[in-house]
Amino acid sequence: MIAPTTGSPPILQLERVSRRRGGRPAVRELGLSLAGGQVLGLLGVNGAGKSTTLSMIAGALQPDSGTIRLDGLDFAEHPELARQRLGWLPERAPLWPELTAGEHLDAHGRLRGLHGAALRQARERVVERLELQPLLRRLASALSQGQRQRLGLACALLHGPALLVLDEPGNALDPVQVAALRALIREQADAGTAVILSTHLLAEVTAVCNRVAILHEGVLHHDGPVAADGHAALERRFFDIAMAGGAQAA
Amino acid sequence: MSTLAVMRLEWRRLFVRPLGWVLAALTLAELAWRFVLLLGNFLGMQVRLAALPSGPGFTDLVGVPLLSSLLTGGFIPFGFTELALIVVPLLAMSTLAGERSNGTLPLLFGTGQSAASIVLGKYFALMAWLLLWLALTLAMPLSLAHVAHLDWGKLAAATLGMVLLLAALAAIGVACSDFASHPAIAATAGILLVLALCSVQLGAQSAGVNNNLIDWLALPSHLEPLLRGLVSSADIVWFALLTVLALALAVRRVAAEKERD
Repeated sequence: MIAPTTGSPPILQLERVSRRRGGRPAVRELGLSLAGGQVLGLLGVNGAGKSTTLSMIAGALQPDSGTIRLDGLDFAEHPELARQRLGWLPERAPLWPELTAGEHLDAHGRLRGLHGAALRQARERVVERLELQPLLRRLASALSQGQRQRLGLACALLHGPALLVLDEPGNALDPVQVAALRALIREQADAGTAVILSTHLLAEVTAVCNRVAILHEGVLHHDGPVAADGHAALERRFFDIAMAGGAQAA
Repeated sequence: MSTLAVMRLEWRRLFVRPLGWVLAALTLAELAWRFVLLLGNFLGMQVRLAALPSGPGFTDLVGVPLLSSLLTGGFIPFGFTELALIVVPLLAMSTLAGERSNGTLPLLFGTGQSAASIVLGKYFALMAWLLLWLALTLAMPLSLAHVAHLDWGKLAAATLGMVLLLAALAAIGVACSDFASHPAIAATAGILLVLALCSVQLGAQSAGVNNNLIDWLALPSHLEPLLRGLVSSADIVWFALLTVLALALAVRRVAAEKERD
């Protein structure tokens, strides 16, 4: 577990953010802030609002109300902030099936404003770090889900973002890849990147996060440091919230 | 710069998909056949044409008819215009509907692209492909420029007509791709829409209705003068309006994607 960073100004701030999806409230009055070096685990059962929250943070969805600030600036008014400051790995790592892994890196680099030598250096860095060399000439449609996740992660990291948003990044990874992913997240946090990680795996949170937020039915029920007693305490808290919500719904 | 990045991405996707190559190969082969037929016809008429003091020349009988059947009638084999009515919606169908079905549209938003840069980047990439296709078609009559007398002014006006036509069709294709949930639906909607624009006048005429508004709405009313060598700002504005309207609708629709339930 990484030691929490305190005192640094928040990179990300969510103020009373709400969003409806499919005719029902998916996220309600959510408030969060995240500073550089922090790794926030966003926990919740399926349909808790995790992916909606992350899509709003990444700029792919507009909140119905509330404000998202990146580096203190309103994200709705400065969507271009996403280009340099934010890296996002959506759930299931969507890719263009007709392009190779190398072409994905080039395209993402250019979309982020990288060109020439800067793009080449950034590409070499992530290819080496994520061991993508053997995949560079392979079409995205021919990649396994684990390889897709690695490529998606490389695209998210290419421009050295200040905020890394990962939506269930451990899905479809084998235990060795999960360990490598955790090491990578720790490395990013040590370098000062704020990381927000959505998962429904409690072990993932205790292994890599220094803060945990628990969402249930779109409402933030808990936001605090990962307790020293780790997994057992978190599991108790998570089930208390999930079961209480379930009982209420019943 | 971000529009350029989206354009490069879309160009690459167009370039590696077999659809573009297959359509280019088939249509250019068909246009070459039409060119040979028109040329044979022109050569067969040489004696009669020589007797006319100001008879039609190579541009009237080969160059412009290669681009469209509007002036000559006899649709088969298709001219460039008739092929464009089918080819452009087919090429445009995946531009945004494909992104939506791949789940990559949110990814573009996540890289900080605005709705306008996404739509325009895709539109310009499609236009680059279509202009290359037009250039290869024009290379056929131009390859005989050293032995035939070309009416450069008339050919330039017809080429301008083709560029404006492609610009409008591409914008309609991108807009249809934006509003449709699936590429096949986008292609069908695009083809139906452009066919309606081409035939609205004929439908009204066959029903005995003679209406200026319907004439103004019809695409052939604005393309035909350009094919005859008459460049009028009213026709250029009609194409520009259609293009801008379709692109504006597409941009609005993409922007609304972030707000969709």
